[in-house]
Amino acid sequence: MRREPGFDMTWRYEPAADLDQSLAERLRRFPREPDLTVYAVRSAAALLLRGWLRLFHRLRITGRENLPKEGSFVIVCNHTSHLDTLCVLAAMPLPKLHRVFPAAAQDYFFISAPRLAIAAIVVNALPFGRQKHIRQSLELCRSLLANPGNVLVLFPEGTRTSTGALGEFKPGIGSLVAGTDLPVVPCHLRGGFEAWPRGKWFPRPRKLHLRIGKPRSYAALPNDKESAKRISADLREAVAALGMD
Amino acid sequence: MTPQAALQSEIFRTYAWIVAGVLVAAGLALAVLRWILKKEVGSVWLTYRSWLIMAPLIFGSILGGRVVFIVVLCLLAGIGFKEFARATGLYRDWWLTGAVYIGIIAVGITCLVPQPQGEEPGNGWYGLFVALPVFAVALILLIPIARNRVQGQLQGVALAIVGFIYMGWMFGHLAFMANATHAYGYLLYVIFATEINDVAAFTCGRLFGRRPFRSNISPKKTWGGTLGALAVSLILPWLLRFSFPHFGAKQLLLTGLIVGIGGQLGDLVISVIKRDIGIKDMGSGIPGHGGVLDRIDSLIYVAPLFLHMAGYFYGLR
Repeated sequence: MRREPGFDMTWRYEPAADLDQSLAERLRRFPREPDLTVYAVRSAAALLLRGWLRLFHRLRITGRENLPKEGSFVIVCNHTSHLDTLCVLAAMPLPKLHRVFPAAAQDYFFISAPRLAIAAIVVNALPFGRQKHIRQSLELCRSLLANPGNVLVLFPEGTRTSTGALGEFKPGIGSLVAGTDLPVVPCHLRGGFEAWPRGKWFPRPRKLHLRIGKPRSYAALPNDKESAKRISADLREAVAALGMD
Repeated sequence: MTPQAALQSEIFRTYAWIVAGVLVAAGLALAVLRWILKKEVGSVWLTYRSWLIMAPLIFGSILGGRVVFIVVLCLLAGIGFKEFARATGLYRDWWLTGAVYIGIIAVGITCLVPQPQGEEPGNGWYGLFVALPVFAVALILLIPIARNRVQGQLQGVALAIVGFIYMGWMFGHLAFMANATHAYGYLLYVIFATEINDVAAFTCGRLFGRRPFRSNISPKKTWGGTLGALAVSLILPWLLRFSFPHFGAKQLLLTGLIVGIGGQLGDLVISVIKRDIGIKDMGSGIPGHGGVLDRIDSLIYVAPLFLHMAGYFYGLR
């Protein structure tokens, strides 16, 4: 463009990165651009869901004081049903809600429009490729946790249990936190499998109890395959122990 | 403005027929171009299809009555400002964007309520509506002070002020028009004529556009398109005189000039903003048009000028 002589003032604009994308594309990308409307819908949905869990499932949450007050951290939880995520979210203070990112299966939650809307708007999910792109997904988690104040919720079993028993933990969580001072908070939800087992359309009114354990840190371990496995096993034990009480 | 009044209004029904007729005729013309003359009409077809959805929505919101129309217009202003904020990066500052949203809500409220002391006739608190920029600018300028911030604040504050004045308040004049005695005629004429002006500029530009009009701002606009649209807009008030039977020749001429010049200025204003930022469209909400702001841009200039012109000669209510 031609430059005119005289007064020239150049501002620095930073347009939204998803400016020319459709709503579905904008919801599918990660990190998503902040959106006031989405935040409002999410907060309203969170209030409704909290009320629902309290009334219909008599949700009890113990150990809230174990959640770190500041800085980023990871929550790991057993995966018995879709209620797990909602219960963990219900344990978070409302103003922090938009910085809590539960990892959700990309192949399940980020394809069809209704699930995409729930995952991206209500749950604020991070798309996790569990078959392919595991490395990229872990990289995404790492960059998310590099920003102070973000919370990542992981279900290291990788899928919902089909028997109600606690499955093996995948080593991904171990490689994410080995050699870092990121606190990892183990959580256990009891009653989720009875309330909403796989394949059922609607949850049944069963009692739920979420226990939040003491945070752990694996700063002393080297970042290799061996310690990744050890950490995953250690966290599984911690989650199982919470379920024993 | 109520649903009953709209259905009984000769003006409302006539416009419904005119718009339906124009849409059918345009559809037929496009079909002839596409299938008989085998011309490429891809992008125009998309634009036309979006009109088939937008036209009933516009009539629906006017049919819904005064309150519905004002609420819809404020939502549109909000969406338009959101696009502006996302394009400029202002949306990252929640305080400033929040202040502008509060301002837009205030525009809606002053359009809805009557003046408390009752010295003005009818609905709409005109005095406060016209004075709103004072309060909005004061609120926006207060935010850096309240947050004790300096860096980049002039840019943020300036963008927020432009956002409120232009997308909120100036566009809000269209909402205030719903309080006029001749609301149906004014509203339907302003919306219809402005859109016709846009279409005329596009068509005339295609037919006899040679010399670029403002080459740095909008390379596709030509003198041919601009003058052609102005000519169409100058004739239109006489053709649609039933919209404002009390207008004399002077007012009809002014109406034509406001729509013919203002409509294209509104378009260019948004083009300046887009070019400076370096983006093509303000959003992707309406297929074939771009964002909401790309569609309402011409109305932003026309609505306030028309309202104050009509108010000066006849009083609004």
